Amino acid sequence: MESRVLKPILAVYVAAFLLFLYGPFVVLTIISFQQGPEGGPQFPIIEWSTYWYQHLFGLTPPSRIAPLPVGEALVRSLVLAFMTMVTSTVLGVMAAQAFRKRFRGANVIFYLIVLGMMVPGVLTGLGTSLLANNIIGIERHWYSTAFASHVVYTFPFAFLVMLAILNRFDASVEEAAWSLGVSPITTFRRVTFPLIFPGVLSAMLFAFTLSLDEFPRTLFASGRDQTLPLAIYGTFSVEIHPNIFAFGVLTTLFSFALLSVYGILMAMSVRRARKMAMQEDIT
Amino acid sequence: MADLTASVPRRDNTTRLLLLPGIIWMLLFLITPIAMIVYVSFWTQTTFNISPDPTLASWKQFFSSDTYVGSLWTTMRIWLIVLATTFLVGYPTALFVGLLVKSKTLATVLLVICVIPFWTSFLIRVLAWRPMLGKEGAINIILLKLGVIQQPIEVLLFTELSVVIGMTQIYCVFMVGPIAFMLARIDRNIIEAARDLGAGFGRIFWKIIFPLSLPGVVVGAIFVSVMVLGEFATSGALSGRKVNLLGNIIVTQVGSLKWAMASVVGVILTVVMGVVIAGFLRIVDLKREL
Amino acid sequence: METTVFRLEGVTKRYGDLVALDNVSLDVGVNEYVSFLGPSGSGKTTLLRVIAGFETPEVGRVFFEGRDITYQPAHERGIGFVFQNFALFPHLTVIGNVGFGLAHGKTPVAPAEVDRRARKMIDLVGLSGMEDRGVDQISGGQRQRVALARTLAMQPKLVLLDEPLGALDANLRGRMRNELRAIRERLGVTFLHVTGSENEALAMGDRVVVLDRGRIIQSGRSDEVYDTPASPDVAHFLNRFNLFEGRLADARFTGPFGSVAAPVARRSDRDIYAVRYDRMRVLPAQAATDGPALKATFVASEYLGSSIMNFFETADGKVVEMEHHLSLGAPDTYEAKRDYILTWNPDLAIVFGREGR
Repeated sequence: MESRVLKPILAVYVAAFLLFLYGPFVVLTIISFQQGPEGGPQFPIIEWSTYWYQHLFGLTPPSRIAPLPVGEALVRSLVLAFMTMVTSTVLGVMAAQAFRKRFRGANVIFYLIVLGMMVPGVLTGLGTSLLANNIIGIERHWYSTAFASHVVYTFPFAFLVMLAILNRFDASVEEAAWSLGVSPITTFRRVTFPLIFPGVLSAMLFAFTLSLDEFPRTLFASGRDQTLPLAIYGTFSVEIHPNIFAFGVLTTLFSFALLSVYGILMAMSVRRARKMAMQEDIT
Repeated sequence: MADLTASVPRRDNTTRLLLLPGIIWMLLFLITPIAMIVYVSFWTQTTFNISPDPTLASWKQFFSSDTYVGSLWTTMRIWLIVLATTFLVGYPTALFVGLLVKSKTLATVLLVICVIPFWTSFLIRVLAWRPMLGKEGAINIILLKLGVIQQPIEVLLFTELSVVIGMTQIYCVFMVGPIAFMLARIDRNIIEAARDLGAGFGRIFWKIIFPLSLPGVVVGAIFVSVMVLGEFATSGALSGRKVNLLGNIIVTQVGSLKWAMASVVGVILTVVMGVVIAGFLRIVDLKREL
Repeated sequence: METTVFRLEGVTKRYGDLVALDNVSLDVGVNEYVSFLGPSGSGKTTLLRVIAGFETPEVGRVFFEGRDITYQPAHERGIGFVFQNFALFPHLTVIGNVGFGLAHGKTPVAPAEVDRRARKMIDLVGLSGMEDRGVDQISGGQRQRVALARTLAMQPKLVLLDEPLGALDANLRGRMRNELRAIRERLGVTFLHVTGSENEALAMGDRVVVLDRGRIIQSGRSDEVYDTPASPDVAHFLNRFNLFEGRLADARFTGPFGSVAAPVARRSDRDIYAVRYDRMRVLPAQAATDGPALKATFVASEYLGSSIMNFFETADGKVVEMEHHLSLGAPDTYEAKRDYILTWNPDLAIVFGREGR
């Protein structure tokens, strides 16, 4: 009886929650179609136009509003995210593989790794820049110091994802391979890895997206060459224009494309499994 | 006949070799930097320079400045408020998604919908609150159109309120996820059994559902705490520099090359973080909940 | 002449405080089929895992073909292992599974040769035509045969079977049992077979080794173990004996069935009287007998194919079983809830006691 009352109330609550969650995004999308270059990032919409989208790609006549410095920053961010993804996934798979055995100090090492995602980015960023700047005396770059900090942040995520996957992994297939005279390394390559690959894919997705949008660590740990979030942060201090919202819409669409690729890859492996199951029914 | 050479126990170094790269990475790029912050906080700061002569000057300066100590209290206040708001906003949603929705597909779809906003850049999501909350923003326009208010509300933007609203929206999903996950794991038969025994929903909730979801609440709280305590972008963008968190102080100090002061604030932030996380971890064993 | 292919010397394995194997020693000859029998937790599976090299014992030595392999990694031992859950590689086809060891083992085999030998093996276990199926697309019995073919393809001298028939239904189990026997006779391999089923142990093994709490409590030819269990525990695990508690004194055993002469008794720390199910006879309630007489009520009977099992209950609630082999003629029928007297030839009973030798 209670749930008959409670459920509709909560359903309305969830609807309001989603409105709260999506409200800013709706507004952002609307304003990205503001008229330009005079129209500002606020209501009312003077006239619907795609001016700010063209502005992003430099297709508009020059005006007093400088184009967003996103071109090179985007490339840097993608390269950095890719480097981070590969490194943290490799580290994560290795560490999670080690954690399948009991060993002394496992708890300490577990928390050492997890600490990477718990320590706020400002602190890692500040510490890394202190280390580079004042002790070692090297220049900071997005591909060196910032990269190191990014991996500190994404490695724990990859590690936890792989730990969850390997917890559910049936080790007897590996033992079966050993008993067939196959070395542990070949066994990992030919048996374990193919079987945990969906998990590896998730870990990679995690690492890539976290790195792509990482901001506080990058702010401190990268040098003068900006990554994408830094370019956007740069607009905070000056006047903002709807071009940043147009850019937000585009990056979101890009993220969706990325997510779709991941989804398709996952669906393909699920469908393959289902197809096998169906054939089993027939035989 | 027996070959005795093969009879020594072999040392298995695999575990060590697998862990070593990760451990080295974390020691070099996480532990050393944090140790650096502690170290540099005792350095001597001159106008544009810094030297490793030990001094407590920066520490004294921090505790004698109302701005700095104030930012510590602001950080704690905003953290507690956002913790409360994300919980209040997130728990009922999680309750609906994790427990009341019968269909697994619908629950998954709802969770995915909650996660989708994360695919927009964090900073742009923060900025999007400006046209939302401003004097001529969406909320004021809608409220004026509906006749709820006659004058636009001005306290919405560039106040502590706007920072809290922005942070709540950005971080509430980190509450919803873990709580919904724990709620979904509850055995429905327990609830049915309690209902058969004549327990009302309120009683079932407080005696069964809430205690079982508590690990999720704690995990969510850890996520939210970690992110809010280290925040500076949201407060920077939505408060018009009126709300200064510890993170904001660090950014401005580094901006003016005051590394020693930035480090002092960093150490204080580390201590606060450590106490908060340790406190939460006493309530729930993170490793076991995985 | 039988030569030892495999030997355990005083093997002890602990998991924390739990002693899984306690000073186990064993010799196994070439081409022998040994069944390990014991309750769950008796250390059977640990024993196989130590032999295979998945676990290292704390104390003791493992020898295989004259070499000490105690600390040799599993993949260098050349000992086959068939898992209870088969542990097939789910991402590979049938032929991919069977050829896996050949293709990726220490000594590289040319792909064409891998293919040829894998096909031959698949043919041997009767799965020709299924080479390219995924292992999810075949039945449980077929998976079991793939697991076996995969192991035998490596031509190991020793194959360990960890309850591989346990996951199959009774019908399949019987057929697989026959097939295993046939394969073994064809290839001349030594098999060590762990099983929780006494029928399987007795039917398959030349030798039965009974384990309890990490120790070998009896080891011998199957019929020998069957006829003369060494202790009440063995008799219990064989699941073929009615066991009665009582008191052995002055060569007489006094139990719920009266006092019976027991001139031959085995030494044990408990006084136990054991009668095989198929040695029990049933008399009407009023019948007089000068031998053992146990009053019991008939409960139910169960048809087992080659025999019928009759269940009786004594006054104190103990269930007594009586097996009638159909080869000995048509069974008598008994009336439920009716009292009967159970008796047997005391010379065929096995007596254990503190007084025994």
